[in-house]
Amino acid sequence: MNKDIQKKTKQTETPQEENRMRRLVKKVHLETKELVLLQILIGVFLLMSILSPGRFLSVYNLQSMAYQFPEFGIFALAMMVIVVTGGINLSITYSATLSSILGAVVLVSLNNLGVPPLVTIVIGVLVIIIISIACGALNGLIVAYIGITPMLATLGTMTLFEGIALNITKGGAISGFPDMFQWFGNSAILGIPVPLLIFVLVIIATYFILQRSSFGAKVYMIGCNPTATRFSGVNVRKVLFLLYIYSGILTGFAGIIMASRYNSAKESYGYTYLLQSVAAAVLGGTDISGGFGKVFGTVVSVLILQVISSGLNIFGVNRFITDVIMGMILIVVLTINFVNNRMEEKALLSKKVVTA
Amino acid sequence: MKKLVLKATILTMALLMVGSVVFAQGQTAAQDDEITIVVMPKLVGIPYFNASEVGAKQAGEDLGVNVIYTGPSTADAAQQVRMIEDLIAKGVDAIAVAPNDPAALTPVLRKAKQAGILVLDWDTPADQSVVDLSVHQIDDKEYGQHIWDLLVEEMGDTGDYAVVTGGLSAANLNGWIDHGLAYAKTQYPKLNLVTDRVPTDEKQQIAYQKTLDLLKAYPSLKGVVGVSTPAPLGAAQAVQEKGVAQKVAVVGTALPTDSKPYLEDGSLRVATLWDPSKLGYLTVFLAKEMLEGKKPVDGQDVPNVGKITVWEDGKTVIMGPPTDFTKDNAGQFSF
Repeated sequence: MNKDIQKKTKQTETPQEENRMRRLVKKVHLETKELVLLQILIGVFLLMSILSPGRFLSVYNLQSMAYQFPEFGIFALAMMVIVVTGGINLSITYSATLSSILGAVVLVSLNNLGVPPLVTIVIGVLVIIIISIACGALNGLIVAYIGITPMLATLGTMTLFEGIALNITKGGAISGFPDMFQWFGNSAILGIPVPLLIFVLVIIATYFILQRSSFGAKVYMIGCNPTATRFSGVNVRKVLFLLYIYSGILTGFAGIIMASRYNSAKESYGYTYLLQSVAAAVLGGTDISGGFGKVFGTVVSVLILQVISSGLNIFGVNRFITDVIMGMILIVVLTINFVNNRMEEKALLSKKVVTA
Repeated sequence: MKKLVLKATILTMALLMVGSVVFAQGQTAAQDDEITIVVMPKLVGIPYFNASEVGAKQAGEDLGVNVIYTGPSTADAAQQVRMIEDLIAKGVDAIAVAPNDPAALTPVLRKAKQAGILVLDWDTPADQSVVDLSVHQIDDKEYGQHIWDLLVEEMGDTGDYAVVTGGLSAANLNGWIDHGLAYAKTQYPKLNLVTDRVPTDEKQQIAYQKTLDLLKAYPSLKGVVGVSTPAPLGAAQAVQEKGVAQKVAVVGTALPTDSKPYLEDGSLRVATLWDPSKLGYLTVFLAKEMLEGKKPVDGQDVPNVGKITVWEDGKTVIMGPPTDFTKDNAGQFSF
């Protein structure tokens, strides 16, 4: 809805005015969306703390949650950056597991050869990152240069990655890493879990790339209107290609954390994160048809989902009920956002009449 | 605007509150002095694990311990790890888990042990270095051989046959098939396996489809072994539809209630399995005994379960031999 207005204004107004307008739209829009999300986060946190006192709100549980959400959060961001362009990346979990499986093969064979653990791990991690870049590049190539719809393209690569992974593992899990590799997923620096630190770095990087760089501005523009963006002199293909590579790198990070946390690599690890990460992105205010979405919103919604999941688990609620509650929250938040959007639109339209 | 946001938030909170309270009524609050034992299946909501839930809960009532039967709604090892982490935070006395992937659970089970929690595996073995007790339904070797004995009983010891399995990565299914194939090689050398084991994603529909393909590709087929509970049913369905139930013998591992119609029309000759509710019962029973410092002994008679076998390592427990289901007795079982 909002997007349409943006599109209209784009054609009629001068660039400066358009920018001011967009900033205004963004500001109003996000403030309410983020406010809702933050309130919900605080709300569910308090609720869980009251319902299971001493258990939910214990140092152990807070730490345990901090080990749990980073891998999910990174997947959610890998999904979000693509959804912002109006696309979707269905291959994120298998790209992560394929990278970690190939990395695992290297880790295990070097370890067996007696290569020092530190060298082994550095090479293993490099392999994971390189493969994840390759996975992202393949997605980017198919979507940006061949021009296949993202959903179909990534559905294809998802199956491809799964197939390659299965051929390597023959359905089993690869384990036998150097013990030091567990550091990425199971250790803490000054009490802060390493996966959380990796997640924070990913958040900062994604924030600057998406929301503080000219590259990011182009990404949002593509999400709003790819044709208009192309005619305004942006190399749409290149931007999309690079963005899919970035999404791929993120899945590589998630792959490292998962391989370390589970001390093994297998093609199916984390496959349930796929739809959850779409949910987290959308819950965080990302427009599924593109042009909109913020790092902050996605991260907060990841935290909300984690608090609910852990809280209900500690509380002893049946897993299906947990799914029901998550679904309810998603629908409620989307409804709130929809209603807010419409009201803002009205406000904006009347304002425009006055100023014009 | 703010008002609306506030209203909506309150609404959400109210929904959550109501939801939680409603569901909380179903949960009896655990007393702190009561023993709490967690039994975690690979996933919740399939007949097999529903049956073991009944047994585990029954044991909880009989023995006066608090049993939490919970697991992920999809068979994802990552979700199991997260749930176990939450349960460690909750503070329970024992965790018995049927791992979706043994290797993936090793770090988190080690964490549980460090937190002073008794760690068991049941149904499917976990990494043996981290578990205090391993509860097996069956001796894998004996079971694999038993399935092939049944096959030969139904199709004779000569001819072509195929194996339809749940999935290529399931360790227990692979174990039975490997034992069965090795046994057939020495014991029944005239049996001819026409193709590699065929995976069916733990789904009856796919087993049905794959068996139809097999029947087409190998017209000389005389037998089909279905391993994993939906596989024999799908195979039987295919054999029945093609009208070759007389010619092709289907045997396998299936629940008696599910397989009853196929047993009755003869498309499934015989099914063999253990009672999953007994397995749930035994798991809780042994966890409680271990928490009280009593180790299981070989030949011990467990109420409602029967005599158990304990291996020499002192921590591997076998529930007992399988039960065969035919059209005559399938109606007597409730799982």
